[in-house]
Amino acid sequence: MVRLLFLGALTLWGGAGASDMTDLLGALRQAQTLEARGVVEVTVLFPPRQLPSKAAKALPRVPFHLGLIPRNFGVSRAGTENVAGRPTTRFELTPKVGLAARWTLWIDQRWNIPLAYQESFPDSTLARRATFQKVNAAPVKVQNLPPTLPQGLRPALLAALPGLRLPAGVQPVGIRNRANGGLELSLSDGINVFALVTAPRGVRAAPGIASRKVGGGFVWLVGNLPQSALDAALAKVRQVNTAGLGTFLTVDASNPQNDPKSQKETTP
Amino acid sequence: MNDHDLDAVFAQARALAPADNGAAERFLVGHRQRRAQQRTRRTGWVGALLASAAAVAGLTVLRPTPELPASAAYGAYQSAWGDGW
Repeated sequence: MVRLLFLGALTLWGGAGASDMTDLLGALRQAQTLEARGVVEVTVLFPPRQLPSKAAKALPRVPFHLGLIPRNFGVSRAGTENVAGRPTTRFELTPKVGLAARWTLWIDQRWNIPLAYQESFPDSTLARRATFQKVNAAPVKVQNLPPTLPQGLRPALLAALPGLRLPAGVQPVGIRNRANGGLELSLSDGINVFALVTAPRGVRAAPGIASRKVGGGFVWLVGNLPQSALDAALAKVRQVNTAGLGTFLTVDASNPQNDPKSQKETTP
Repeated sequence: MNDHDLDAVFAQARALAPADNGAAERFLVGHRQRRAQQRTRRTGWVGALLASAAAVAGLTVLRPTPELPASAAYGAYQSAWGDGW
C-alpha cells in the first residue's frame, strides 16, 4: 500500500515537472513570435563591467536551445509574482548535472511570454538579470529565429582539441574566426553560454576564465562556472588542430574584416 | 738674460744628468702600460656592450608572449551572448 502511494506521488511529482517544462517551453516558443516592449532594466555582474546596469526597450535575447533545456535542466513552477504590474508565473531552472548557473524566468500569465530573466551563480548570488519596469499595453509581433545546433560540430571540435572535456551537457553551437588569429566557439547547455577560444596568446587569470598553453598556442574557456570546472575542462587538451573546423565557418565569419564585432587585442 | 746665460742653459740641457739615465726606457715602459690599459678598457667596454646586446636579444626572443588582459576573454564571452546584454 505504502509502495503504491509512493509510486503514485512520484508519478504525480514527475508529471508536474514534465508539465512545468512543457509550459515553459511553450512560452519560449511563443517568445519567438511575440515580444513585450516597455522599459527594461538590464543588470550584468558577470563579466564585470564599469556600469553593470542599463535600460532597454525589450528584454535582451537569451539564446535558448529548446532541445537542450529538458536534457540539462529541471523546471519547477515557483508561484505567482507581479512584474511591472502584470501577473507572472515564476519558473525555476536547476541544472540536472554539473555546476552550471541556475535560471529563473517570469512568464506573463496572459501573453505567455517572458517578462524577466535572472541568472544566478551556483551559490545563488546574482550574475545577470533583465526585468521589465514598465510594460506597454500590448506585445508586438516579431520573428526571432531560434538558434540551431550545427550538425557535426561537436565531434569536429573534440577531434580538433583532443583531451577537451566539455562541461556537463554543454554543446558547441557556433563558431567564428577571431580578428587576431584563432577561433571563437560558442557553447551552450540550453540556456547558459560559454566561449571557447583558440588564440596565439594567453589571457590573464580572472574570475570565470581558464587559459591553458597547448603547443604553440592557447585555449581559453570563459563562462559562469566554478574555476575548478573551467580548469578541468581544459586540463587534458593536448593538441590544437583546428583545420577540421574550417567547414563550419560561414563565408562572412571567415573574414574578420566583415565582422563588425571583431575586436582588437592590445595589452595595456 | 743675455746670450751668455742662454748658452749656459743650452749647454746644461745638452749635458746628460743622472736623471736622464734610462729615461727613454722609463718612457717606453710607461707608454706600453698606458696602451695596454687603454686596450683593456676598450675591450671591456665593447665586451659589456656586446653582452648587453646579446642579453636584450635573448630576452626578446625567449621572453614569453605577454598575456592579453582579461577583457579579451570577457569580450569573447559577451560576444557569445549576443547584443542587448
